[in-house]
Amino acid sequence: MKYSVIAVATATFLATAGLSAPALATGKMSCEAGPQSGWKTRAELEASLVKQGWTIKKSKVDGGCYEVYGTTPEGDRVEAYFHPVSLEKLLVSRRGEILFRKK
Amino acid sequence: MSIGRKLNSLPAFWLVLSIPAILLVRGYWTGDIIAMDMLHPTGEFSARFMILALIITPLSVIFGNRRWIGWLMKRRRSFGLAAFGYGMLHLVFYVIDMEALKPILAEFWAPGIWTGWAALMLFVPLAITSNNASMRWLKQGWKRLQRLAYAAALLTLAHWLLIHDGIGGALAHFIPLLLLELLRGIIIYARRNNDMKQQDSLQTEQVWRK
Repeated sequence: MKYSVIAVATATFLATAGLSAPALATGKMSCEAGPQSGWKTRAELEASLVKQGWTIKKSKVDGGCYEVYGTTPEGDRVEAYFHPVSLEKLLVSRRGEILFRKK
Repeated sequence: MSIGRKLNSLPAFWLVLSIPAILLVRGYWTGDIIAMDMLHPTGEFSARFMILALIITPLSVIFGNRRWIGWLMKRRRSFGLAAFGYGMLHLVFYVIDMEALKPILAEFWAPGIWTGWAALMLFVPLAITSNNASMRWLKQGWKRLQRLAYAAALLTLAHWLLIHDGIGGALAHFIPLLLLELLRGIIIYARRNNDMKQQDSLQTEQVWRK
């Protein structure tokens, strides 16, 4: 029965360690954009994207960049990163496949 | 029937397993959760129930014949069917989120996507045959067919690792399963070796007696 105690203890430890890991930046993109007071708002970014023909599901901050989930004017369902000050498009990817990366 | 027995019945258990789904769908209905954000919780519950269904056999090998193992054994089918149910819910919200066939096809061969489809496709024959009639009809074949669950588990793990940002959640769920399966293997191997040794010594003894 020694095995069983070790197994349960290890499993419990791993589960707790895994579940309590903090939500960090995903590391897909990072922006050095200074303090948030100098950023354009997410609403501004979304409005300009909608004007260009995007539809947007959701947006948030990731790695100091704005990250947007939505559909491009070309009809690709993507996840895209924008610079929060210039609102320049930095990266567009579809489930890990890079469709665009700023040179 | 007493209240205690009612609470401990299978229908009551199904109700418990469906509580997360009820809360999630209500959240979607009231507009608190968008379809995209339904994907992670529905997928995670599907994987959780699949893992719970899968760990019952290793637990019974490790702990032997106990009352709580029997209790779990009676509920293994419920866990498996719940995994399928949450998987279908996951698919429904994926389709709602993607809105059209074209973008679904466009990303079909992304490694994080086809593994999910494949896992769900394997769930279908498992769920269809999760009843006594199928067990009688398929006889020994039933067990072989249900072993597809291990392939579905590996595909689910791959899908989760590839599609999600960060591997912590997937590992926290799958490492316990992996450890329990490993221990099950070790125990069965040790028992078999022990049996053989006993048989050997018995045979030697018989030879000596002659």
